[in-house]
Amino acid sequence: MKIRDVVIGANASIFYRLDFKKIKGAYYPKTEEDVDEVLARARESRLGVTVKGGGSGLSGACTGGNAERFIISTLLMNRILTINEHEGYVDVQPGASPDDINEILEPRGYKFYVAPSSRDIATVGGILNTDGGGNDTWVNGTMRDNTIRAKMTLYDGRKIVVDHKGVRSNDGALENELNRLGFTLNDVASSHGTLGFITELRVAIRPLTELEVVGAVAHFDDATELGQTLTKMIAAKSPIKYGEALVEAHPDIREDLQLPLLILQFPEDYTDDLRTITDFTMLQPDEVERMKEIRIKLPKRNPREGIQLALFEGYGIHDQSLLKMQESVDRINELLISHDYKPFAKYGHAPSKWYVGSNEPAYGMVMHSREIKPEGKSGHEVLKAILDIVDLCDEIGMTPKPEHKWPYGDRIKRARLEKIREVVGQGFNDFIFCDDCGEMLGSMV
Amino acid sequence: MVHLMSFEKCVRCGSCIKFCPLFTAREDEKFTPRAKTYILQVWDLLEDDEELAKEFRRLVFQCTMCGRCEEVCSSDVDLLHIYHEQRSKALKTAPQEFEYLEALKKSLAESKNIYGLDQEDRAVYWIDELIDEIPDIEDRVYEPGKTAEVVVFLGCLMSFRSSQMDVVRSLFRTLERIGTDYLVLGADEFCCGHPLYLAGDDEGAELLRSHNREVMQAAQAKTVITGCPGCLIQLKNYHNLEGIEVLHDTQYFDRELGRPPTLDDSEEFAYHDPCELHRIMGVKTEPRSVMRKVGVNFREMDLSCCGGGGLVRMTDPDLSDKIAEVRRQKEHLGDTTVVTCCPSCREQFLSVGIETRDIVEMIDEAYQKEEE
Ligand SMILES: Cc1cc2nc3c(=O)[nH]c(=O)nc-3n(C[C@H](O)[C@H](O)[C@H](O)COP(=O)(O)OP(=O)(O)OC[C@H]3O[C@@H](n4cnc5c(N)ncnc54)[C@H](O)[C@@H]3O)c2cc1C
Ligand code: SF4
Ligand code: SF4
Repeated sequence: MKIRDVVIGANASIFYRLDFKKIKGAYYPKTEEDVDEVLARARESRLGVTVKGGGSGLSGACTGGNAERFIISTLLMNRILTINEHEGYVDVQPGASPDDINEILEPRGYKFYVAPSSRDIATVGGILNTDGGGNDTWVNGTMRDNTIRAKMTLYDGRKIVVDHKGVRSNDGALENELNRLGFTLNDVASSHGTLGFITELRVAIRPLTELEVVGAVAHFDDATELGQTLTKMIAAKSPIKYGEALVEAHPDIREDLQLPLLILQFPEDYTDDLRTITDFTMLQPDEVERMKEIRIKLPKRNPREGIQLALFEGYGIHDQSLLKMQESVDRINELLISHDYKPFAKYGHAPSKWYVGSNEPAYGMVMHSREIKPEGKSGHEVLKAILDIVDLCDEIGMTPKPEHKWPYGDRIKRARLEKIREVVGQGFNDFIFCDDCGEMLGSMV
Repeated sequence: MVHLMSFEKCVRCGSCIKFCPLFTAREDEKFTPRAKTYILQVWDLLEDDEELAKEFRRLVFQCTMCGRCEEVCSSDVDLLHIYHEQRSKALKTAPQEFEYLEALKKSLAESKNIYGLDQEDRAVYWIDELIDEIPDIEDRVYEPGKTAEVVVFLGCLMSFRSSQMDVVRSLFRTLERIGTDYLVLGADEFCCGHPLYLAGDDEGAELLRSHNREVMQAAQAKTVITGCPGCLIQLKNYHNLEGIEVLHDTQYFDRELGRPPTLDDSEEFAYHDPCELHRIMGVKTEPRSVMRKVGVNFREMDLSCCGGGGLVRMTDPDLSDKIAEVRRQKEHLGDTTVVTCCPSCREQFLSVGIETRDIVEMIDEAYQKEEE
């Protein structure tokens, strides 16, 4: 084995202990032609293919499971190809990160408004495949809302261009068939690398608004009060430009904060209206920055003793589960503790927007959770805890891991992807559709 | 115990990848910090593979130890310590794979300098060059019984390399001008131990340090100054020089210069901040402050490595050249002269044909212009 073929498995999910012998090649193409070559080689060797962006995804999908496969990294496909301020788009290679794009755009007075906390390393190809977004999805939408079109190469080498209306392809039959199925960018969003290799994206950009915003922090007695406040903000379509909730945090990282709290930025003239929804304390710009800094580092911090992990990265709390949020949080904690996980931090974008498998938008809070890892758990025990959480989510009306992170549990999305794969063919991340996908993931924890 | 576990704290977020000069130069995840912590995290799945273990031992030496990964990491992963530990382990496990380091170790054991040159020559080359300008320079060389407020620790590069002669000249001229009571250790200066430390040989490094410690104490120095950030790390962090202040020369001059003359020059320089100075030793403001005092017109370069650190010039010269070449292109160095304050960074830039000056040369030039 070569180190090159091992480290291509490095990723931020808990599924990182791979059977490295099954990685039959690690590739770093720079152009669409390079991708064509690798795919031809994969076909010759009858091997599946997994595409990897920054490897910051938390579902384990960029590992390709444990099947024999090639892994193709897009980290070197990071060029900005065209900037069209007039029509409001840039064409980029799939391995560019939001930070890469904005580094070029911001001096020109423009911005690409998709900002996951991982925006320094997450790639636009990966973000579309997980339909990610940041704390501003509430106003700016998720990746699908900011993508105009995507060019894809299928396993058999055919090319398609997908936008919000449908598909174009040099292969007329393929184009017709996909359009008959109603195939659009909605299907590519959250497809977890199962349809094809995205080789180029056209993403929307807008002028950098110098809109004056003010910062504030709202404190709550418990998570229910926080959830009810979020519900009111959603109903009032509050123009919150930045919203992050810190629900709970272990003393090692809590600093001097009183939780739960909500960090907010909004236009100054909305201040009075917001007061009708919640009490808050205005913050000076440097205080806002300090709080944002605390928030952005939370997913990466460790306790003084032991190590944290994201057992189940995102709970989509909405409607009833949001109105009774403390109960939801307590139930989650009870379950975690029953599996020997010590709750470490709960936080997330709020108010937030995401899409469920039927492509309907959901509104509420995407709550991320980090736990202190207990010693000596087998992979299968860990997976059991995750599956118990999925059941709990079903029971109390949360979207288990907002589907952009959890293809394995979203039946509607999965059925749709299976239908599309009947047309575009298999070959990309087939493991997600295997009956033993759960088993396989368990072995990789 | 904490250190042994440190790599486990890596959450594999990838935030360090794009900052690593090795990734930019080699375009392969293998060279990234995340790759190294990942390999350690899954080591139990790999340890039977002897070829892979060998490749990993080589990989831990393909790192400039610039510390940028550790700086961006929010998960408290003590990356430099991990690399140091792994280098040490690699040397102990398979010394036969590091024969090229054996020559270095031998030179240091026998001659106390990295070039294997006669230790008595440590204060010969530059004295020959400077004696006409500073006739008393020989009196500045330490001998038992001599004492001074300030001891200048030149380091191996400045003592022996002809390419550093102008910097040495500027350093002594400036010290003379401002009336510093100083001694230079000459043949009694042993290598600071930094190369051995970087190679993971702590015992070897300590033998050199203990000699230096004795001499500096005998010279009754109150302050030790050095122009080499690598020496600074060793002197300040590992020499246990109790009661002796250790400073980089830019720190010393920033404090002592008062109001120096200024260069009346419109040339724009690019300032390269040595990683070991600003990131590891935290010396950030003084070099800039000195440059401003003497009126150097400079733009900031990216805070990344020149490619010469961590022994990479020795362990993988191609990689080292590639890093410098990538920087030259990315930072449009073209005809720009790079100003810096580290002999090792200067050597690295010079090796790929980039013009460089040391800050000390700029100070000297400002005085010279005034004197003219
Ligand atoms: C510290 C941290 C903070 C995070 N914060 C957020 C956040 O705020 N919001 C959020 O939404 N997520 C967040 N995430 C999760 C993660 O960053 C996102 O899921 C991100 O979209 C993944 O992008 P990536 O490039 O790393 O993709 P990867 O993890 O490499 O891959 C993700 C999926 O995309 C597929 N893929 C990647 N590129 C292509 C391509 N070109 N063609 C076809 N398929 C492809 C892969 O096969 C895989 O299925 C965070 C993660 C971490 C570690
Ligand atoms: S930044 Fe730190 S936690 Fe993230 S991959 Fe690098 S070493 Fe690991
Ligand atoms: S110390 Fe520098 S060269 Fe070494 S892994 Fe870290 S960033 Fe890369």
